[in-house]
Amino acid sequence: MTATTDPVARNEWIACGWLGQIRPGASHDTMVLGQPIRITRKAGDGYRIAEIGEDGAEGRELPVQTRYTCIFTTLGEPSRPLPEIAEFDEPDRIVVGCGNVGVNTSPYRLVENFLDMAHFSFIHVDTLGATDKTEVLAYRTEHRKDVDEIWAVDCTFFQPAASKAVKGGQMTRYQYRVMSPFSVMLYKNISEDSDRNDAICVFIQPLTETRCLAYMPMAIVDNENTAADIADFQQSIFLQDRVILENQRPALLPLDPTYELPTRADASSIAFRRWLKAMDIRFGIYEKQAA
Amino acid sequence: MPPDQWNAVALDSQIRASSSNPVIVNDYAVALWRSASGQVNAWEDRCPHRGMRLSLGFVEGEQLRCIYHGWGYAPDGQCRQIPAHPDLTPPKTICARRHAVERRYGLIWTNLADDPQAALPDLGADEGWVAVRSIFLTGGVQEARKAVAGDLAEWDGTVSDGDVVTLEMPDGTRLAAAFQPVDAGSTGVHFVARGPAATAEGRHGLARQVVQLRNRIENN
Amino acid sequence: MTITLHDYSLSGSCYKVRLMLGFLGLDYDRRQVDFYPGRQHKRPEFLAINPLGQLPVLEDDGLVLRDAQAILCHLANRYDGGGTWLPRDPARFGPVMMWLMFAGGELMAASSARLHDVMSYDLDIDAARRSARAAFRVLDDHLTHREIDGATWIVGDHPTIADLACFPYVALSGDGGIGHEEYPAIRNWLREFRKLPGFHAMSGIPEYV
Repeated sequence: MTATTDPVARNEWIACGWLGQIRPGASHDTMVLGQPIRITRKAGDGYRIAEIGEDGAEGRELPVQTRYTCIFTTLGEPSRPLPEIAEFDEPDRIVVGCGNVGVNTSPYRLVENFLDMAHFSFIHVDTLGATDKTEVLAYRTEHRKDVDEIWAVDCTFFQPAASKAVKGGQMTRYQYRVMSPFSVMLYKNISEDSDRNDAICVFIQPLTETRCLAYMPMAIVDNENTAADIADFQQSIFLQDRVILENQRPALLPLDPTYELPTRADASSIAFRRWLKAMDIRFGIYEKQAA
Repeated sequence: MPPDQWNAVALDSQIRASSSNPVIVNDYAVALWRSASGQVNAWEDRCPHRGMRLSLGFVEGEQLRCIYHGWGYAPDGQCRQIPAHPDLTPPKTICARRHAVERRYGLIWTNLADDPQAALPDLGADEGWVAVRSIFLTGGVQEARKAVAGDLAEWDGTVSDGDVVTLEMPDGTRLAAAFQPVDAGSTGVHFVARGPAATAEGRHGLARQVVQLRNRIENN
Repeated sequence: MTITLHDYSLSGSCYKVRLMLGFLGLDYDRRQVDFYPGRQHKRPEFLAINPLGQLPVLEDDGLVLRDAQAILCHLANRYDGGGTWLPRDPARFGPVMMWLMFAGGELMAASSARLHDVMSYDLDIDAARRSARAAFRVLDDHLTHREIDGATWIVGDHPTIADLACFPYVALSGDGGIGHEEYPAIRNWLREFRKLPGFHAMSGIPEYV
């Protein structure tokens, strides 16, 4: 595809690489929203990002930020800053990235799957869900207008092995936070200390409307396991979801509430779709492309 | 609008009890599933909830369950259970899209039209047809039919060209090739046989000949 | 005497060994290797164990073994007293070996397609999918004849290491954009394999059958 002209999508910060992916002095060609870009790592730790024109030459230079183990850029003028996630600054946490994982679907299918608890008992059997405990209890969703984010709070679900650090089943408490159409995270309380939540993010790089790379930085409270163990657990979970994501039809997200029928457990998905509709984003939306 | 047309989509013997299978007809994805008791269903391959392909689902008794959230659908298409809300009776609006399906001549046929009027191809009596095998050829259905009819014409016997291409073999065996238009680049051809060669040994021989037919067509 | 498996959860080749250990009821220690994104299997410490820089590696009573297929042979030879996973009679030994080599050879194109789609490996994806489909067709043709005989498994009346070695990358092929629409006999064989007692799934293969 050619680069999207959708101003809503262009004005978001988008992850496009992970720290450690590119050697000093080297560069890496990739794409955001259909726009080919080149990321060059300077001699130190700095990065330069430029669009690649049809002639293969570097064109317009793009803004760069590095945070949460990722490299971010934007094609437009971001209406919001990168989200603040304080957990990544706490020195005693294990901060892990998992590289990126390719997924053939639209970015919003990824966000919705991440927000969803009802699939735990079917897709994450014996870890995030148990086959005999499938119920999703009522939770609340909020549109936090001051930061323009969607939150789902007071979420609970029974989990046989909620993380690498947990032994045995428990009711896990969650809060979900959608920071942009292309970024989502959760706070998951698994430790005895109710103030210390694991923070797990998904930053999505839409290469095109139906092909994405997903980055999963985490800031975890865990004194026992190595970063590799934690990454392995998270990658295993994500590849269980990936089968679902690549087999949803259509890949683009439909916003018409009669085309895909939700139930109470989908309150967060309903709030997310309403929010996308209100911001009039076109990129990756089924009706906008079909029209 | 899908054409009012019956297409063979599988050998009946290869769609097992308690299984859900992916089948593509004219670029349209179908979940072909068989209940534990043996009833065959051809549905749009899309869960009405979040669009998950139902061909990746699993069959429990007489229900097809979506793999994503375990929603259970009865053969009438109605959603009967939503595990996230065990006490909820699913509303009538949650219903899978069903298509006409028939079992005949050892084949499973589906017609995607909203109100099918067309008759199934007539191959005479239904009894005695056995599966030979299915093959998939590169290219569209017209091209594939022509190639198969052309190849069968070189075999001993008499070829009848039609929606289903048949070959009357010298020993009285009747071989039939029914076509599944997958997309512009692929066609399924489902072979069944009736008569003296409809034995295990005969089926091995015919299946090998069909593979040779496929290889000849692909090498042309 | 302990068995140690140098393992990566998302590797279909490691999964072959985990499945075998599970079917045989063997306990083992797991050494987690950061295959992606860490590429730990290409670092000097790992190359000292396997100079080919590949997973899995199995350590068993002083032996250090690489290659999933070789490890399956070792485990069946040493621990499967009944000899059902690796039959020794002439009618079955040769065919089991033939399909075992196929699993480690032609079928690995499906692994390449998966590495491309999931982990952005830089390779010719069209060629990988084409080769994988050619291999799947060979297996589907074989299984079609097995169905005509009323048989389920690749060789003989029981599942063997031939089935076990072929299973993972065929089952996981959707991860690399290769569907099972054109392989009805493969679909039926995969379903039967997933129903085996002692079977456990891995990411990319649904738990429910």
